[in-house]
Amino acid sequence: MGHQFRPASVIAYLLFALGALFVLPLQAQQVSIITSFPKELTDIYKKAFEAKNPGTTVEILNKGTSAGVSYVRETAVGNRPDVFWASAPDAFEVLSKDGLLVKFDPGIPGIPAKIGAYPINDPQGYYRGQALAGYGIMWNTRYMKANKLPEPREWADLIKPVYFSHVASSSPSRSGTTHLTVETILQGEGWSKGWMQILQIAGNSAAITERSFGVPDGVSNGQYGIGLVIDFFGLAAKNSGFPVEFIYPGVTAIVPANIGLINGAKNAELGKKFITYSLSEEGQMLLLDPKISRLPVSPKTYAKAPAGYPNPYSGKIKSKVNFDSDLSEARYYVVSAMFDQTITFRHKELVTATKAIHEATAKLAAKPNAQGQKLLADARELVFTPVVDETKVKDKDFLAVFRATKRDAETSKRVTALEEHWSSEAKKNYAKAMDLARQAAALAR
Amino acid sequence: MQNEPAHNKVRVEARGVALAYGKTQVLRDINLMVEPGEFFALLGPSGSGKSTLLRLIAGFNIAQAGSILIDGRDITAVPPWQRDVGMVFQSYALWPHMTVAQNVAFGLEERRLSRDEVKRRTQAALDLVGLGEFAARRPNQLSGGQQQRVALARTIAIEPKVLLLDEPLSNLDARLRVRMRHELTLLQKKLGITTIFVTHDQEEALTTSDRIAVMDQGVIQQVGTPTQLYDSPANRFVAEFVGTINLLAGSIESETAATAMFMSPDLGRFSLPRSGDMPEHGPVQLLFRPHAARVRTAPDGDDALWIPGTLVTREFLGESVRYGVETRAGMLIADRPHLSGEPDYAPGQAVHLGISASQLRVLKT
Amino acid sequence: MNSRYAPVPTAVAIAIAIFLMAFLIVPVLSVVYIAFSNADGSLTLAHFMSFFDLTLMRESFWNSLYVALMTVLMASLIALPLAYFTVRFEFRGAILIQTLGVLPLIMPPFVGAAAMQLLFGRSGSLNLLLSEWFGFGIPFMEGLNGVIFVESLHYFPFILLNLTMALNNIDGAMEEAAQNLGASGLRLFRRVVFPLAMPGYVAGASLVFLKVYDDLGTPLVLNVTNMLAPQAYLRITSIGLEDPIGYVICFIMVAFSLAAMWLSVQVMRGKDYATLQRGGNSLSKRRLTPMHAMLAYGWTVLVLLLVLSPHLGILLLSLAKVWSYSVLPDAYTLAHYVTVFQDSSRMMANTLLYCGLAALIDVVLGAAIAYLILRTTLPGRQALDFMATAALTIPGVVLGIGYLRLFKGVEMGGAVLTSSWVLIMIAYAVRRLPYALRSCMAVLQQMHVSLEEAAENLGAGKLRTIRRIVLPLMIGGILAGFVTSFITATVELSATILLVNAERLAPMSYGIYLYMQSIAGRGPGAALGVIAVVIVALGTYASHRFIASRAVQIEMKG
Repeated sequence: MGHQFRPASVIAYLLFALGALFVLPLQAQQVSIITSFPKELTDIYKKAFEAKNPGTTVEILNKGTSAGVSYVRETAVGNRPDVFWASAPDAFEVLSKDGLLVKFDPGIPGIPAKIGAYPINDPQGYYRGQALAGYGIMWNTRYMKANKLPEPREWADLIKPVYFSHVASSSPSRSGTTHLTVETILQGEGWSKGWMQILQIAGNSAAITERSFGVPDGVSNGQYGIGLVIDFFGLAAKNSGFPVEFIYPGVTAIVPANIGLINGAKNAELGKKFITYSLSEEGQMLLLDPKISRLPVSPKTYAKAPAGYPNPYSGKIKSKVNFDSDLSEARYYVVSAMFDQTITFRHKELVTATKAIHEATAKLAAKPNAQGQKLLADARELVFTPVVDETKVKDKDFLAVFRATKRDAETSKRVTALEEHWSSEAKKNYAKAMDLARQAAALAR
Repeated sequence: MQNEPAHNKVRVEARGVALAYGKTQVLRDINLMVEPGEFFALLGPSGSGKSTLLRLIAGFNIAQAGSILIDGRDITAVPPWQRDVGMVFQSYALWPHMTVAQNVAFGLEERRLSRDEVKRRTQAALDLVGLGEFAARRPNQLSGGQQQRVALARTIAIEPKVLLLDEPLSNLDARLRVRMRHELTLLQKKLGITTIFVTHDQEEALTTSDRIAVMDQGVIQQVGTPTQLYDSPANRFVAEFVGTINLLAGSIESETAATAMFMSPDLGRFSLPRSGDMPEHGPVQLLFRPHAARVRTAPDGDDALWIPGTLVTREFLGESVRYGVETRAGMLIADRPHLSGEPDYAPGQAVHLGISASQLRVLKT
Repeated sequence: MNSRYAPVPTAVAIAIAIFLMAFLIVPVLSVVYIAFSNADGSLTLAHFMSFFDLTLMRESFWNSLYVALMTVLMASLIALPLAYFTVRFEFRGAILIQTLGVLPLIMPPFVGAAAMQLLFGRSGSLNLLLSEWFGFGIPFMEGLNGVIFVESLHYFPFILLNLTMALNNIDGAMEEAAQNLGASGLRLFRRVVFPLAMPGYVAGASLVFLKVYDDLGTPLVLNVTNMLAPQAYLRITSIGLEDPIGYVICFIMVAFSLAAMWLSVQVMRGKDYATLQRGGNSLSKRRLTPMHAMLAYGWTVLVLLLVLSPHLGILLLSLAKVWSYSVLPDAYTLAHYVTVFQDSSRMMANTLLYCGLAALIDVVLGAAIAYLILRTTLPGRQALDFMATAALTIPGVVLGIGYLRLFKGVEMGGAVLTSSWVLIMIAYAVRRLPYALRSCMAVLQQMHVSLEEAAENLGAGKLRTIRRIVLPLMIGGILAGFVTSFITATVELSATILLVNAERLAPMSYGIYLYMQSIAGRGPGAALGVIAVVIVALGTYASHRFIASRAVQIEMKG
């Protein structure tokens, strides 16, 4: 700042900068893309597309998937971004149902219609699969070695006592990918068994992170040992040099990450061009970049992939689950709210109860006791049973409660009453289960 | 509160005290003895070192050399809170977060006295300064004079061995200052505490103190009673600082054992009676106070030195009239008591100033 | 002052009032309105009642209160000794303490929390060392205590700075009088020195309380969700903008913050002891005994290490190739800095532009409000002060949501307001206005009105007096306000996240957040964070130098 402070020159500089900002963007053709993808992915596409189309700029709006949906909805027609690009298929379901997308077919040959039983492109043509994603388990090899942990293979492995407080996961309300993971487990294992597994894994978790990215990041830097992640998180971290491994467990679903043209876009033509580019051979190749490490939808691309790159078309990844996105979408709010009320916000209590159960199990294994086993079974029942049973979640009226606008006092009251019920029920059950487990452990003495 | 003269009157002594801040010498070789029960003033202009000396006695400054003794005991190494000397600060330093009573009770509480004792002595101290009714007020609800009294009450409540007053009256207006001055002396006589009073106001020092030390540039220039300082200043600084003076420059030569000859380039020669410390010969200054000069139209006696001149200014001071007379020796000042029966003069008149030889003091230059 | 009708000040006051209404009061009210209305717009208390029916919400309410109060306590324990050492004793490095004490404030809290995870987290450097040497770890960063740990280290400077200033303003005679009457050591501090510094302490402590109560980033990074700010954020961003409970939480946070601020004002009413008189001495400094010196230096070094740990962590991260489950990174590289400079110079420019303009608006408004309050008798001028200061209690999330709702679809110069950078800049300006206002008020309060009267007496009109006398004398305070507003705006994230609608418009704080979400490691985010810290630190240092040199000049003239 020196000894001479001249406000006039500062103001002049600021005015100049201000003017520059207004003038610059008007000179170039601009395509704007709303996406939940991380910066290194979007940067690579931005640079490549701009290099290929001189005079064009790519404008990225980075938003969480659900925030992105509401952003599009609340922006006036004609001012909306051009392209929506994200992982979660249910978000595209919502967008197309609300008429926020327009049909567009770039007409690129060679992309199969289905991966497993799941259609890669929207059957109605509103959005298209741009990459494929599977869900799996990622772990930090140094952490596992230091803590002498065996490598997990299946979701079910993660409920073992040995992994207590070494796992991390996010919440479905926070991240589209976690929601998909949870839904995959629920659809693969069935509602009750699925929740049981999810609750047990959550009980073994050191943290329920706020963003889905918190999980791969925490595993990469060694804060957590094992994380439930979408494949490219694990693969990209590994390819960037972190001491991590990733596997697809038996119960997984390969689901497309999608791209679609927004209805009411500012620059639809350029938007189409970008979508076409992202699906072209060149655009698909970009997915193989170590920093991105995604699975291309075009089978041809895998021929140029480095050795060992997972190929979903090779049949090596066993995708047992045929993901039903209508079902997922129908119970979206219930699953999210249940997860938050009984897991995220009650995590401390859940972990305490899980710990007590693990301890009692170990003691009873050493010194069996029938009465103890019975108490322990009750404790498990209390902790690992979902607060909403399977019949209820199929009830259309029940689901409708969560769809109505919450601005109305009546709906708001019903929803909050449900939330309160779940939350207090969970708290009560966890406390009671902890007591039972301690009694069971005491009997083993 | 001790209402009869205190039994524990103490002597305060400074021996060879010196203090410097970096290269600035603030106090040089200070030797001072304050007698038990004395009201002693440290008088000097700002920067003379008088406040530093006072803070040294209180323990807030640390001397590089010398020692401070109270009652013969060396307290140089004793921290302020164990010295038992009470100090009233120039700004009063009343704590705004406490009431008047809490302020006064503070020192008593620090001495771990019983609650009843604290209460009794707080009230007594406030009554003594006439503020018994104000105990529950906050300092900022009091006038300047009242604050000053609270500060005094707070200090004397602990019955200190020595009372230190740092310009306690300087923040008061002129009229109040005079009144508080009287109250302060009365209180001091009543309590009999050895008191050291710092002031830059010579009138304040002269009117209140038993003895005064005049300080300048970190050195004690003279110690004496008010009369001694006024009548027999040791040097020009003391003379000028304690009252108004006229100075005549010249040199002196011995005449006889009883008289000396003063020679001035402006006024000629004049014979003076010899006094004790008058030098044999050499350059000197003659000093006289304005009230010692008589104003006449012509010399009216030969017992005095007569200096002709022109009256140029006339100031009415109430008790007297002050004339400024332009002479060959420069501007001289003469006072005539008001309503004394002597004639008045107006500017422009030719006059003679007459000073009796006995009123002239000789200062070495 | 003496004219009964003053058209210019009135017009200025009205303009300021309109600005504050449009960009602070109405947006906040629009958020509050949703908390109390049905979808059809009719008013209802049902949402509000639902809040109290939810156990989780009551729990979050108490957790937020607990964390805020404990943080004030911990921050006080850190700041009190530091302030006392630097003011009371001849203590080497006092300036270092004060400069370094500011450092935490110039790092976004979420970055600090992320960096501290690397050092103090469950597999952080410290716990790895502990478990290697002693076989146990300490859960510094777990749960509410983790939040308190991070927030205390982040916000203690507010207490340190205010307390140091208050201690420096105490007339030394106040303390000497107590010593003279027999008090010393801790008793002296407890009975006289600390009560006199109380207004400064309360000002700092209430700021810490408000900040922590509203902070979103730290609990989120530490995965603590059972607090009010995270609940509001999670509700509004995951259930969608339509969830009324989220808005009820916002309302409760605003109301509670306002109440806390009001309470601190009430407590301090009539206790503003400006005790340092003209020419008075401040507290005398004394030498430490060797024993005390050891303790003092030990404590200072410990606190400094803790304070600097996030900076150290972020620096290491920015230079690390791979850092995973190890005390220090495996290998080092400058590549992240290259990435940042290639890709994100736009963000740096944006930060300078937004924060510069926001700070400029702040000092203009701040100086104008200060002048209106202290130098005019306009009716209702105190309301301006109140409105501007109330911005302190508005969480960034609330303001951001308010803007999105209120200015949805509003066009300005052909562009939609909600998708331009203007709103981001204005949000910064509104949120940082209290800082600039305090600075301007302080400096104008100290300026004797006779200086202006002298100018008017010599023939200068009001405006010319302001230009030639008031502004030049206020420049130190104005600059201090500018810098405070600027640096705190550079690290603002909560409103930024909501208002940034394109990467082109993103400032550095958003960029750091975005880069921090990278799978390939958080190196570039850390590098951008280091650059932000360096820029802000240099600015702070330069302005300190400038203010100090001006202070010397004015003192010499005076």
